[in-house]
Parts: sequence; C-alpha cells; structure tokens
Amino acid sequence: MSERFRNTLTVSLIVVMAAVLVTLVVTSPMREDRVQSIGDRIKCPVCQGESIANSPSQMARDMMALVEERVADGQSDEAIIDELLFSYSGAVLLDPPARGPTLILWIAPLAGLVIGVGVILWWRRHPPGLGSPEDPAPQRSRARKLAPLLALAGAFAVIVVVAGFFLQDREGPATGVANLAGEDLDDVSNETMEAVIAANSDHPQVDGMRLALAERYYEAGDFRSAFPHYLAVAGSSNAGETEAVTALIRLGWMAWEGNGEVATALNLFDEALAIDAESDTARYLKAQVLWCGAEQRDEAEGLLEDVLADPELADESRDLIQADLDAIRSGGSCA
Amino acid sequence: MLSLLGSAGMLVALIGAGLLVTRGITTARSDRPTNLGGAAQVLSAGAVAAMAALVAALLTDDFSLVYTANHHSSLTPFPFDVATAWAALEGSIVLWALVLAGYTWFVFRRYRRSPDRLGAAALAVMGGVAIFFFGLMVTVANPFETCVQAIEAGCAQSSPWPFAAVDAPANGPGPNPLLQNHFMMAVHPPVLYLGYVGMTVPFAYAIGALSLGVAGPEWLRRSHRSTLVAWSFLTLGILLGGWWAYEVLSWGGYWAWDPVENASLMPWLVATAFLHSGIVQQRRGMLQAWNFVLVISTFALTILGTFLTRSGTINSVHSFTQSAIGPALLGFLVLTLVGSFLLFSTRADLVSSSPRLESYVSREGTFLINNLLLSVYAFIVLIGTTYPLILEAFTRTQVGVGEPFFNRLAVPLSFLLLLVMGFGPVTPWRISEPGLIWRRTRNPAMIGLAAGLLTALAVTRNGWVVLSITLGVFVVSTLVALLLEQVRRRIAKTGETFPDALRRVVTGDGAFWGGQLSHAGVVLIAIGISFAANVGAHDQAQMAPGDSKTFEGYTITYESPFQRTPPGRTIVGARLTVTRGGQFIGTVEPSWNFFGEQSGVGTPDVLHSPGGDLYLTLEDLPGSSGEVSVLFDTSPMIWILWFGGLVTVAGGLLAMRARRRERVTTDDRPTVDV
Amino acid sequence: MRNGLRWLGYGVALVAVGFAVVLASRFGTDPGLVDSPLLGQVAPVFDLAPLEGGESVSLDELEGDIVVVNFFASWCLQCRNEHDALTSTANAFGDDGVTLVQIAYQESPPNSIDYLQTAGRSEHAYYLADPGSRTAIAYGVFGIPETFFIDEDGLVVGKIIGESDALTLGATIDAIKRGESPGQSVTGDTQQRPDQ
Repeated sequence: MSERFRNTLTVSLIVVMAAVLVTLVVTSPMREDRVQSIGDRIKCPVCQGESIANSPSQMARDMMALVEERVADGQSDEAIIDELLFSYSGAVLLDPPARGPTLILWIAPLAGLVIGVGVILWWRRHPPGLGSPEDPAPQRSRARKLAPLLALAGAFAVIVVVAGFFLQDREGPATGVANLAGEDLDDVSNETMEAVIAANSDHPQVDGMRLALAERYYEAGDFRSAFPHYLAVAGSSNAGETEAVTALIRLGWMAWEGNGEVATALNLFDEALAIDAESDTARYLKAQVLWCGAEQRDEAEGLLEDVLADPELADESRDLIQADLDAIRSGGSCA
Repeated sequence: MLSLLGSAGMLVALIGAGLLVTRGITTARSDRPTNLGGAAQVLSAGAVAAMAALVAALLTDDFSLVYTANHHSSLTPFPFDVATAWAALEGSIVLWALVLAGYTWFVFRRYRRSPDRLGAAALAVMGGVAIFFFGLMVTVANPFETCVQAIEAGCAQSSPWPFAAVDAPANGPGPNPLLQNHFMMAVHPPVLYLGYVGMTVPFAYAIGALSLGVAGPEWLRRSHRSTLVAWSFLTLGILLGGWWAYEVLSWGGYWAWDPVENASLMPWLVATAFLHSGIVQQRRGMLQAWNFVLVISTFALTILGTFLTRSGTINSVHSFTQSAIGPALLGFLVLTLVGSFLLFSTRADLVSSSPRLESYVSREGTFLINNLLLSVYAFIVLIGTTYPLILEAFTRTQVGVGEPFFNRLAVPLSFLLLLVMGFGPVTPWRISEPGLIWRRTRNPAMIGLAAGLLTALAVTRNGWVVLSITLGVFVVSTLVALLLEQVRRRIAKTGETFPDALRRVVTGDGAFWGGQLSHAGVVLIAIGISFAANVGAHDQAQMAPGDSKTFEGYTITYESPFQRTPPGRTIVGARLTVTRGGQFIGTVEPSWNFFGEQSGVGTPDVLHSPGGDLYLTLEDLPGSSGEVSVLFDTSPMIWILWFGGLVTVAGGLLAMRARRRERVTTDDRPTVDV
Repeated sequence: MRNGLRWLGYGVALVAVGFAVVLASRFGTDPGLVDSPLLGQVAPVFDLAPLEGGESVSLDELEGDIVVVNFFASWCLQCRNEHDALTSTANAFGDDGVTLVQIAYQESPPNSIDYLQTAGRSEHAYYLADPGSRTAIAYGVFGIPETFFIDEDGLVVGKIIGESDALTLGATIDAIKRGESPGQSVTGDTQQRPDQ
C-alpha cells in the first residue's frame, strides 16, 4: 500500500467519521428548557452569586416560578429578563448584556487574543540580537540604580495605602436611632414628632421632645394636643427639674385659662413650686390665679412682692409685675 | 502566656526576616558571606512558635486570646478546633506566614549547597515578602491580642499588649457553621496555601536575577522544583475545594466562578503557562521576557487573590470580614507590580536577548501558542471578576458577571488547549520535518473520532460530551503512540524487555512524561466536567414517611425523619433507602446542621457509584408528621473529574523525580528528536 | 524589541497603579449594595389579600395618599426593632394622607399573624400576605427590612434599606409632603431567612 494511497484513505476516513459525528450531535433531540436557560442567567438576590436555577433558597424558587409562568404565557426571554431588570437593576444579571457598559466584556477577550497573536507575529519579524546574557562589569552601578526604583514603587504603594485608609470609612455610620436631644427639630412636622415620641416612649431623653412638641401646640393654642404631653413630662421620672416645672406651670395655666379650674391650677403651681421654690413664672402665674380667680389679693400681693425682690428678674417683666402689683393694691380688677 | 508566646514568635520572625533581607542584599551585592542561615532559622523559629501558640490556644480553649474568644467554641470537635486556626482572617495570615517561612528554609538549604549571589538575592526577596506578612500580623491582623472586655460569647475590646488585664469570656461563638460541616476544612486551606505561597520562590529568584543583572536560565533551574511543588499543591488545593463544594453545597456544584475561586484559578493558569514556558528557556534560551512577565504575574495574582478575599471590595461566599488589612495588601500589590515591572524595564536589554524562533511549527511554537491561550484565559477571568468593581467605581451602575459569561469563553478556550495538548508533545524542537506531525497524529485522530462515535451511539449525543471525549481520546492516543514509538526504538537499540524499556523511557525523561501524565489528567477532568454539566437529571418531590419515588432508575424510599445531637451541634434530617433494580444500594441521610445559636446549614448526602453520584438534599425541615421536600440530582461519571485531578497532581510529582536535563542547545544542528 | 519590552514594563506599572487606585476607591463601600432602579418610576402595582384573608387591597385604591410599603417578617431582628416606629408613624400620619402597608416576606400568614399579635398593629395600616413573593420580586427586594415611599402620584420617591426609626420615617414623609424626593438611604444591614 503506497504512502499516498494510505494518506488519502486516512484522510477520507477521518472526514467521514467527523461528518457522521457532527450529524449525530446536531440532530440529537435537545431538551430545550427555556425556563432553565433563563434561570441560569439571573442571579439569586438573596444568595452569594448562585443563579436562581441552581439555588435552593425560597426566593430563588419563587422567582423560577415567576419565570415559568411568564414562559407559559408566551413571553420572550428578553421580556422576562427586562421585567426583573426593572425591579432589581443590572446587578441581578449573571450574564452581562452585549451592549452598554458591558460591551467591553464581550470585546476585550477577543481583542486580547488578537493583540497577543499580533505581538507574536511582530516578535518573529523583529528578532532580538544575540546579546550577551551577562554583563559583569557595570554590576555595581546597576545595583545602585535599584534604590530609586524601589523608592518610586514604595511611594506609589504608600499613596495607595493612605488613600485606602482615608476612603475606608467614607460611608459614615447609619442614622439609626434618632439622637433625640441633639436634632434640629425645626424642619420636623408635628406628626413626625408624635411618631418619634410614640416609638421611643421609654427613651430617657424623650421628655425634651415631648416638651418641645407640647410648646408648639401651646403656642398654636391647641391645648388639647399639648395636654397629654405636658402631663407625661410632669409625671415622668426621667424628666429634669426645669422640664417638670415648665410642664406643671403650663398645665396649671391651661387648667385656669382653658377650663377655669382654680383649685387644680393652684395645686399644679404648688407642685411646681415644691420642686423649684424660686420659680418666678410659677409664683407670678399663681398670683394671677389667686387674684383673678380666687379673690385672694393679699396672698397674690405677697407673691408678687417676692418676685420683685428677685434680683435676676428682667426689666420688662419688672414693669409688668409692678403694674399688676399696683393694680392689686389699688383694688382694681384683673385684666 | 500563649499570647506572650505568639506575640514573641511574630516579633522574632519579623526580626529574622529583616536580617534575611539585609544580609541577603549584602551578600548579593558584595559577595561577602553573611550568616543567612541564622536569619533563616530565626524566621522559621518565630513562625513555628506563632502557629504553635495559636493552635495551643485553640486546643486548650484559652479564651483570653481575642482570636479564640471570637472564633472558637469549647464545643467544637477535633479537627475543626485546629482548623479554626485558619478559619478567620488573622489566623489565615499566620498560616500563610508559616508556609512562607517553610519555603524560605528550603530556599536556604538550596543556597547552602551552592552559595552564590543569586541565591542570596532570592533569599533577600523571600525575606522582604516575609517582612510584609509578619508586619501585617504585628500591626493590623494581630491574632494574639488579649481580650480586655468580654461579652457573652466573644470579645468586645482587645489589646495588643500581652500583659494587659485579661477579661476572658467563658466561651466563644465557634467558627462559621459552613466551616464545621466537613473535614475538608482542615485540609483544603493548608494545601491551597502550600500552592499559593510556593509561587513566591520562583518570583524571588526572578527578581534576584533581574536585580543582579543576570540573565539566562539559572534562576529557572534553581526554582524549577519549587515551582513544580507549588503548582502541584495549587492544583490539588483547587481540586479539593471543588470536591468540598460538591459534597456540601446542595446542588452538586463544584465550581461557581465565585470571585475567590477565580482568585485561585488565575494564578494557576499563569503558573501553568510559566511551567511550560520555562521549559523552552531552559532548553533553548528563548521566551525569557515571557518567563519574567509570567512569574511576576503569578505572584502578583496570588497577592491580588488574597486581597480580593480579605478586603471587602467583592462579595463572595468566601469573604473574610473587612478590616484594615485591605489597604495594606493593596499597597503591597502595588509595590510588587510597580517595582517588578520597573525593574523589568530597566533590564530590558538583558531580558530581550534570546535566540530566534525558526518556525512556528515547532515545539517552541506550540509553547508560544500555549502561553497565549493560557494568558488570554487568565485575562478573561481577571476582567470578569474585577469589571463590576471598576464599573461601579466610575459610574453608579451595577452589573453582574457570572457563570454564563465565564463559561462562554472558558469552554472554547479549554477545547483549544486540549487540541494543542495533542499536537504539542509530538511536534519536534526547532523545526519539524514535513509530514512528521501528520504521521504521529493521523491514527490518534481516527481513534479519537471512533471514540466520539461510540459515545454518540451508546451513551449520549450531547455535543460537549462528544467533543470532549473525541479530543480527549485523541490527546491520550498521541501520547500513548509517542510512548510506544520511543519504547520500540529503545528495544531495537538495547534489546530489553518491554516492561524494562518502558520503565527506562519514562524515568529517563521524567519531566516530559510527568507532564504527559498531567495532560492525561486534564483530559479526564475535561471529560468529567462535560458529563457533569450536560448529562444530569434533577427532580423534586414532597415525601411523607413511607413514600417512594423512582428517579433515573433508582427507587428512593423515605424511611423516617431523625434528629441527633452530637457535641456542639444538632442534626435534623431524613433517612432514605435507595435501591436499583430491586437491589439495595445504600442509605442516604440528607440533613440540616445547627450549631449553637447560629442558623442552620443544609447538608446534602451523596451516594457514590461508578456510574455516577446520586445526590439528595432537603429543601426544608421535616414537618410535624415528617413530610419534607426532597431534591434529587444525579451527577453521572463525576468520579472521572476527581480521579483526573489526582492524575494531574501525580504528573506534577512524577516530573519532580526526574533528573533534569542540563543542556541548553544554542547551536544550529537541526535536531529532529522529541 | 528592547524598547518594546521597556514600554511594556512601564505600561504595566502604570496600569497597576491605576487599577489599585480604582480598587482603593471601593473601600468602605458595600459591594452588595444596589441602587434601586425603581426610584422615580411608577410603583409596581400590587393587589394582595390581608394576612387573615378577605378582600384584597390594591395600590390603585390608595392613590392620592403617600403610601409607605414595608417588607417584614417575624424572623427578622431589625424588623422587630423598627416595628414600633412604623406603627407610631402610621398612627401619627394616618389621618393626614399617609397609609402604611406592611407586606409579609417569605413567611406563612399564621406566623406573621402570631408575631403581629405581640408586636401590635395600627388601625391606619394594612397587613398583607404576598404568596409566591411576587410583590417582593416586583419591588426588587434583596433582604428585609426594606421600606419604600410612594408619593401621591404613585411614583417611588424614597427607599430605606435596613432598620428605620420614627425620626427617619417622619422626616421622609415630611420631605415628600414638601414635594421632595428623598431617594435611597441605607441605615444598616438587611437579613435573609435563616435557613437559606
């Protein structure tokens, strides 16, 4: 058997076998499982990098059920994936699309291969000279040249490390639980403050918020809304002295001004004075109630005199109180 | 006490590393002998002490150490308590440093046998890398900090001062449940590190050679054995990782293109290219520039991989928690890459000198193609892994890059590599006589196609499986034919018996035949993967005790649910019996494992058999009357994958036994031998 | 050739530095965090039955109100922490054009009902079941708690990932009432079902 004949026979045999093989493979019944193939392209959002087709987690199974339903409805692969993209963004895809920012992922490997082949071909055409592999003479000068090189590399490394440290805690700690005392509350609505107070009613600093909210209501004349908050502050074991006193005073004045309840008001003022006997506001308002509500001018006069005796009293208040005192002494009625 | 021992060990090792660097540089520059041995001893002693202290703390439940307090529990059984030493970040650095010290010791022993500048320079570089890792331990990743403020199960505040007032918790939370589930936790990380860290050795020799201005294959020759050892361990480590994932994760998956898995694949690909390309330089003095670039890239990729795992910049199942170690690793990566490549540039004239490639159709040509394919492969894995990160840094778009992307590119590349694997070894050096390659590959081609046809007719017509078997059998046939050709020639020359001649041929060129064995292993891996990926069945069923299900020829009967409480965990599962054709095959017990307060881990159970594996997983916990949802999977012929991996590693080990060929031919005599 | 190699070396060094700077810029950010693509879009419609069963509630019915959609479950620690804040916010704003809709995520209705028994409900809120997680998928939920804010015109204008508190909820609602779009805010971690 001649070499040429044997070669031809071998080649023909190879070609025939290959052809038969390819035919067998191409005509094999392929299980077209669209649901599986779509599922392979979607990342399970609650797992670490698994596809929803492979992950046993509940969320993955639910998403596969959704995919199954859409496939049965006759939706295209792209439409189904777009639906999930709409909700989750591109982060949920395992297969980067061949467009937009991920186009480079499709191009780069091919480019790498082409460049590599190009380099090899170019290298063959520009062969290096057979240079001497060792050059012992300038060894010392070479060694000296290493130092600046190392320094340069080191400098870059240091820059990167420092940059990294600075950038590390860039995203500051979460807002988390509200810093009740420190917040600037001007922008916060009444409803928000109500919600915050309700959600944090055990918080030791909530009384400050309550008082602030209650003051808002009080200023607006909404005694009804202010009342429960003042009450809570007055009865709170966490409240500071000033806060409690303020609350009691307001409660007292609302009782008198809003409901005309003299005894309750006087009681509340007394409680306030029990905490802070020097409270000018408490004494003044108590005096008002005594004068206007209980006709006890003498007591009222005494209180006002005590107030005027306070050296830290503001001048404007002094005039006002003096006027009231004169009115009481002269037997006038209260305004 | 242990904290003191460990801290002292770290510092001693750091000092040893420093001494190694200074003395190594002195000897390399001025050829003055210095006590490098002493420095290496100090380094190794310190590293061993540190690891010993850590392991002792774990074995004796010493919770005064923050590391033990935060990661260990007295209920953790052996060997997981020892494995806790590398289960968390700081401990993994101790392991890395220990392995590095070990390799440094081996490099020193080599140096001691033939002391010269190159060896000293290499030791200096190893010392430099050691300074970095021990420096990490002493500063940002200190495993020997003592706990000064305990909380219920762990430590709230710690101090690096070993004499600080200790407030140790009574117990710790124990390691992550996923890391207590399988004995591989004790094996996979050390093996993988033996691979990773080993790549420091050829890198050190390369940098040493460049720094000294010494070109030529000497640095390759010196480091070749270490490279083989490291490569073998890296291959084994990746294989074990895949097997572990397969046994433990619930759908028979062994590779998910997870960023950390990619981080181990990239150095492996480039190291494989380096191994091959190094042969060309040792033999013909060519591809010098390639080899430097490849070895620097291999080492840099190991550092990049470590960085990705520990920096918190990429989400992965493997991620350690974020810490200050990220910037440090990144800085070291920059130092390595920039320093090495600047050095490379300044030595460009040295590096560029090499003989001319005479013909592409030559062994050198096939190695060049091999370099190209493997480099492109590594490049693809690199950009796939890091692109989401890069894109998010510049824009606020998030993209996902996962399995479909990698498979689309890796699969064709792998088949191309298989093809080159078949043609390469039969292509002669320098230039091929026309027709030689055809003569050597025409019969194997037919055998391969015949095998493919047989598969298509008898087993499956899936295109990938058929292609992998066709190509695989082709490759194995070419190497068998080559072997027979050489044995016949030898018998004709010496008249030996066949077995003797066979043995002589193989051991006479162990490097080559070890490589061929590895190629055969890779063929088996390819076939195993194609079966597992394309020919498998999956089903699901809700079963109550007593129910039976038929699946792929098996009959699976649900016997009963069960609950067990070995120390440290609670196991809740279902017992099922499997029969086939009326014959009892085995009992399977998929389950859920709960460790202390931590959430449960699904644990599948696998029934192995030559035809493939049957894989059962519980989707949820058995209900009140025992009913449970069960997942069924088959992985046909998957054992071929694991066996192939072992064969690949064996090939690497065989290559090490060889007497290395010393000659470097630069003359013009055309050689037509293998 | 020599020059080619030289430039190769410099080029790689340069690329390495650039690459490292890009990596460094990612420190401190959460790689798993995704910007919700729903912000500024029309909110996905849902039509779900309450946990106890009965007539379903659809998003269309609530148009004109600010709708706060919160995904929760009893096994979620942060959800438990924020529950009071949600309830009090619902109560505070209930009569003021704000409706809270709490949707159970990956949990069977009996478990959710049991949980709400102890945690408490607001009369101004709806508590709905989401069979098959369809609504959670439509809203792109990665974990819980996640809270979405839908303005009076039906557009998603805000999202809180992680545990919210009364001040954040209130401030967000205040901002929406002023016509602003608060956007996405991350307050902490989200959780997955423990047996995943």
